[in-house]
This record gives sequence, C-alpha cells and structure tokens, in this order.
Amino acid sequence: MALLEGRKISKAFGGVQALNQVDFVVEPGTIVGLIGPNGAGKTTLFNAVAGAFKPTSGKVVFDGTDVTGLPANAICRRGMARTFQVTRPFAAMTCLENVMVAAINRHPAKPRSFIETFAREKLSFVGLAEMEGFEARHLNVIQKKRLEMARAIATEPKLLMLDEVLGGLNTQEIGQAVEFIRSLRDRLGLTVLWIEHVMGAVMKAAERVIVLDQGQVLMAGTPAEVVADPRVIHAYLGE
Amino acid sequence: MTGKKLTVIAAIILAGMCVLPLGLGIYPQHVLIVSLFYVMMASSWNLLAGYTGQVSFGHAAMAGIGAYTSGILAVKAGIDPWIGVCAGTAIAALLGLGLGALCLKMGGIYLSLTTLAFSQILHIVIVNEYDVTRGTMGLQVPGLMAEYSKITYYYIMLAAAVLMLTILYRMIHSNLGLNFRAVQNDEAAAKSVGVKVLQVRILAFTVASAMAGFAGGLYGHYLLLITPEIPSLDLQFNVLAMTVIGGMGSFIGPIIGAFALNILAEKIRDYGEYHVLVFGLVALVVARFAPNGLLGLWRRFRTPTAHPLVK
Repeated sequence: MALLEGRKISKAFGGVQALNQVDFVVEPGTIVGLIGPNGAGKTTLFNAVAGAFKPTSGKVVFDGTDVTGLPANAICRRGMARTFQVTRPFAAMTCLENVMVAAINRHPAKPRSFIETFAREKLSFVGLAEMEGFEARHLNVIQKKRLEMARAIATEPKLLMLDEVLGGLNTQEIGQAVEFIRSLRDRLGLTVLWIEHVMGAVMKAAERVIVLDQGQVLMAGTPAEVVADPRVIHAYLGE
Repeated sequence: MTGKKLTVIAAIILAGMCVLPLGLGIYPQHVLIVSLFYVMMASSWNLLAGYTGQVSFGHAAMAGIGAYTSGILAVKAGIDPWIGVCAGTAIAALLGLGLGALCLKMGGIYLSLTTLAFSQILHIVIVNEYDVTRGTMGLQVPGLMAEYSKITYYYIMLAAAVLMLTILYRMIHSNLGLNFRAVQNDEAAAKSVGVKVLQVRILAFTVASAMAGFAGGLYGHYLLLITPEIPSLDLQFNVLAMTVIGGMGSFIGPIIGAFALNILAEKIRDYGEYHVLVFGLVALVVARFAPNGLLGLWRRFRTPTAHPLVK
C-alpha cells in the first residue's frame, strides 16, 4: 500500500489553476523526487498535501486514512513532516528550542531532560550540535534549512517532505547532501518526498521522480526514464 | 542562572517586599499597591502579547470586567467581595475565551483593532448604563475587609501578584511556554511541527483575561470606587508601555517596567497627565531601537560578545 497517495488534487487561486487533477503515489521506504519548472505547482502540492491549505478538490490519503483538509498540526501528528522552501525557523528561539517544540508535541508526557537529549540528537544528526544555544535568526540559509530538517525529524515522521534543501550549495556540498538525504532513509527509515531544482542531485538520490508542469503531472518514473523523456526536456528547455 | 540561585534571589526580593512598606507612609504604600496592580496587568498582558504575539488592546477592559462584575454583585446583591472577585475572574476568562476565538483568524493590526473596538464598546456601555454602573460618577463598593487597612491591602496585593507570577513562571517554562513562543515566532511553522495553534492562542487569551479580571477585581475593592478609568485606553497604554519598556517577552521585564513607570508617573504627576504621552513616546522609541526593552539592553551590555559565529 502506498504511504501517500494524491487523487485528482486540484487547487485554484482565483482564476489561476495551480494544480489540475494531480495523481501521484509515494511508496513506503522510497526517496521520491518532485521536479518541474518554476511555477509548475510543486510547493502548492506540498502545501495542499501537508495541510497548509485545503485543495479545491481531490483527496490526500496518507498511511491508509483520508487526511484531506485536516489542519497541518493534525497531519503532522499522523506522521508527515515538512520543511519550507523559504525557511521558517522560530527566529527568536535557540536552535535547541526550535527542535524541542517539535519534540514536546511528539512526546508531550516526557520529562524535559528526555526532550533536551532527544532534541540534541536531532541537531547533531543534521550537524548543528555546536549551534544549539544560538538563536535561529543568526543562522545562515544553509544552516536554517538544516535546522528545519532537524525540527521535522524530531516529529518522528513516517514521511519527510523536503522543499528545496540544496539551494546555495556547491558541487562538493551537494554530494554530501545527497548522502545525507539517503541517510534519512537508510538510518532513520524515513520515506522522503523531495522537491529539488538541483537536477543532478535528484537523479542520484531518488528512486522515482514525479515531474510536474503547469499544475499537471507530466510523467512519473525512474530517474533514467525521466531524463530520457522528450516531454520533460521540452518542459524544461522549450522547443 | 540555575533554578536554585533563582529561588534564592526571588526569596530575598520577596522578603524585601514584605518589609518594604513598614517604614513608609500611607502615600508611598498606595503607590506600591498600585504598582503591584500594574505588575499583574503587565505580566499577564505580556503572556498574551509577548509570548504568543497577540497584541490585544482589550486587557484593561478585562480588568474593568473583573472590577465591575465584583462591584455590581457586591452593591446590588450584597455578595461578599472575595466571591465577587472570583466571579469577576471567571467572567473575564469567559469573555477572553470569546474574544480570543473571535480573533483566531486575525493577526497583527487586525487583532489589535478588534480588541480595541471591544474595549471601546465596553467603555461606552459602562459610561452610559448609569443605573447599573453609576457611569463616570463611579460605583462605590465595599472593601475586602471590614476595617480599612492600607498595609493589609498591600499584603493582599503582594500575595496575589506572587501567586500570579508563580503561575506565569511555571507556564512559561513548561511545554506550553515553548508552544506559546513557537506560535509567536511563526504560526505556519508551529503548525507544521504539530503545535495546536488555535488551542494555544485561545488558551493564552483566556488565561491572560482571567488574570486581568482578577487583578481588576482586587484593585476595585481597594480603590472603593470603580470608575471607567479602569477599563480605559489610558490604563491599557500604561500597561503596554510598561511591558514594552521593561522588556516584552521576558518574565522580569514587565515587573520592572510596572514599578519603574508607575513610580515615575507619581513623581511627575504635578505636571498633569502628560506622563501617558511621555510613556507612549518612550515606548515607541524603545520598541524601535531596543525591542527587548530595558532588560534586553542590560543583557546586551552584560554579554557584549553574544553574537553569532556565522560559518
């Protein structure tokens, strides 16, 4: 059974049809890339799936239950976590506190000592251990992206949705990041749905790729199938 | 600072506060009592505005609700003021719940304007419902005890303030406090990590309003004359200025702000009511140049190297 399934998801903003009858599945234990040109509707799809807003029509089925239109916090509790394209850390809170917020809502009954240890583990997992006492507003963009990942992981999700976490990295760093995203699955057992513009990285780390274009699914398949498809090349490069 | 050290400091300050009024005359005692009222108002408003980011202008109105509820019950039905204060607290909590729910989808200036409207409507009702409230003449109410004693009132207000600050402190340092701050920092992000944002916001409104109602109830029975001055914008802006100048979003800031500004206001009373204007201007300047208030300035001065190491 698919962990996440979108059935004919549509979203209109006024007259703009941002998503049009989008169907897709994410199988458990896979890393799925979500790609497409600017304005294709990738982040809109994330928002509709994760409960930031309700799709105009269509269904989101997560882990066997219909979660369409549930508030983001309820969806999070069911095991879906996300990061944001434009990062949204709790700016005036320390890095440790940022992660603790996620931890206390996953483990409300646990004592503070447990929560702190738990949050520190997540911070070291993303390589921010030494920043724990700094307010999040002092971090650079890359560190903020990592902080958001730590925060998302601390909700102990089944599915982690990453929205462009590689922007601003150089080639070597991208290689490390690809390893990191693989480790999310291999070490933490997460399923990953991942929006990314850095095509090389997606092709290396993802097992399946969904291509969105103008609010519709252009195709879905293995990375090799996707790069070879003339429709995809056309969508990115034009005639 | 460790918990133990903090407890010791708190105990010393409390002991100081207990002996402080003994050598003082009636007038300084009065100033201290009013200061304690403002400590309660500013600290509870800080929970709402400083910790969850809901800048309500209806906080003084909630104190008015507490004062008038208790006062009217005592005058019209002969109910014991202590029970009246509890009733006032409960009504303020209920109205806070309603106002919080009304403002749930609002943020920033819209929430402020809605609560401002609530406060103004209440003010107009109180001024005009002369039969019930005695309008601007004020409602004469009985005191909390049979024999009037300034020093007893001082200890009652001190105990009430200590109780309230203890509750606030525990709340801020619990999981709830983390959730409050997460909501203030970024609602969408808070939701995305499982914070029940709507519950958190309404809870903050309810608790803060109950506290304002409680403080207002006690204050009314201390003054013995409840006037529309309590649920007024003047009082609201005093509370705002105290919190902002003291240090919004910190536990100690509003306490310092309340004492400092109330005592200062008494000192410059001879020059008329200009202190409200002055405090407003100072609050503006502080909010612009030292958003964490006097406390923030002091902390920055103490730890000048607390700057980021950006990699």
